[in-house]
Amino acid sequence: MYDLIEGPFLSLAFIIFVLGLLYQGSRFFQLTRKKEWIAPPLPGAEKRVKKSVGQFIIDGLASVKGTLWKTDPLMMIVTSAFHVCLILAPIFLLAHNVLLDQSWGIGLWSFPESFTDWLTIVVLICVAFFLMRRLFLARVRAITSFYDYFVLLIAAAPFLTGYLAYHQWFDYRTVMILHILTAELMLITVPFTKLGHMLFFFLYRFLIGSEYSFTRGSRTW
Amino acid sequence: MSNQNIKPINTGEIKEMLNRQKGKMKRYLSFCAHCSLCADSCFLYRAHNRDPQYMPSYKVIQSLGKLYKKRGEADRRLLTEIKGIVWRNCVLCGRCYCPIGIHIPSMIAFARSICRSQDVYPQGDEASSESWL
Ligand code: HEM
Ligand code: HEM
Ligand code: SF4
Ligand code: SF4
Repeated sequence: MYDLIEGPFLSLAFIIFVLGLLYQGSRFFQLTRKKEWIAPPLPGAEKRVKKSVGQFIIDGLASVKGTLWKTDPLMMIVTSAFHVCLILAPIFLLAHNVLLDQSWGIGLWSFPESFTDWLTIVVLICVAFFLMRRLFLARVRAITSFYDYFVLLIAAAPFLTGYLAYHQWFDYRTVMILHILTAELMLITVPFTKLGHMLFFFLYRFLIGSEYSFTRGSRTW
Repeated sequence: MSNQNIKPINTGEIKEMLNRQKGKMKRYLSFCAHCSLCADSCFLYRAHNRDPQYMPSYKVIQSLGKLYKKRGEADRRLLTEIKGIVWRNCVLCGRCYCPIGIHIPSMIAFARSICRSQDVYPQGDEASSESWL
């Protein structure tokens, strides 16, 4: 059982994760080949006005006013912490990189274990915050179904089980099996559920022509 | 007499329309994180005491989302319900902001096209009695 989920299942999960994202990405590029002018070049628009450092900072702060950092700062802090820790913790985790090194010889540089342990705790606290929002805020509840709780669980489970494994709570072997299974489940579901926003955030916000594009995206569906 | 009670709903036509835009619309629907951060960017939501019914993602899920979920098997009641959402609860001002980049107005506009293809749309006097501002 252990050999199976650690060997072939794990490879399969990674293959589905990578191929799934590649499939979604290539569909996106096929479907959005058409281009449009999102911001017609205005005369003189290329000319940059020189600003003093002070003015630059004042303007920067002023531009925050219209964003979610102004309207929902708590959520923005939580979601930023959540996503940063969620990405950093597993990639720079010593245990993962040791395992990678043993099987592929390509372990990355790692954070100290006590640090990644804290990142894991932050992720779990943020998940609890999301859960509370979903349960108690009318506007979130209005668009919540069972599926949303399930996906939140899928995202949280590898962190919860990883935490339990690291602290050797409960039966280590069972927890480890659960950890690997839930991690595999997460990898498999990313390309096909709302977790796919991991890829589509970049495609939508950078490549699609829109007023809110971070760059001058010009692709259209 | 409005023509809305005459023409039978052609689900085949709805299905065809849904299919034509599937690549785009289904991805928008499925990658929405259901986070509700778009709520405050909609002036109608704010003008209605933050009633969740007016939240951009709610409006999309209850209109276009339902049509895809039912695979186009819509009856007149559903389309009439959707009519209220996509014409009364949204004015397509295009101001909604989604951090992930989901484009709500194009989805509402598409739901309107589908309703219109079945002759479901606000009729003369209805349009004025629906003045909500
Ligand atoms: C699928 C293959 C995976 C394997 C074989 C694996 C294996 C492990 C091992 C051996 C540990 C250390 C337990 C200990 O120190 O005794 C661990 C911890 C951890 N894993 Fe994984 N893991 C996998 C995937 C993932 C994924 C995909 C994530 C997150 C998205 C994840 C998140 C974590 C975290 C956050 C910890 C550390 C918890 C802490 O230090 O508090 N793992 N994992
Ligand atoms: C890599 C780039 C990513 C970006 C830019 C991004 C961005 C976002 C944004 C803007 C939201 C909406 C705000 C919120 O509800 O917190 C969100 C929600 C969420 N993200 Fe990500 N995300 C990324 C990756 C991931 C990954 C890899 C996962 C998990 C595997 C993930 C899990 C979640 C979850 C579970 C939510 C919803 C929280 C809730 O239930 O309210 N995200 N993401
Ligand atoms: S449309 Fe965007 S902001 Fe609104 S709930 Fe969906 S992901 Fe969140
Ligand atoms: S387009 Fe519709 S949902 Fe978006 S802000 Fe305007 S009224 Fe609200």
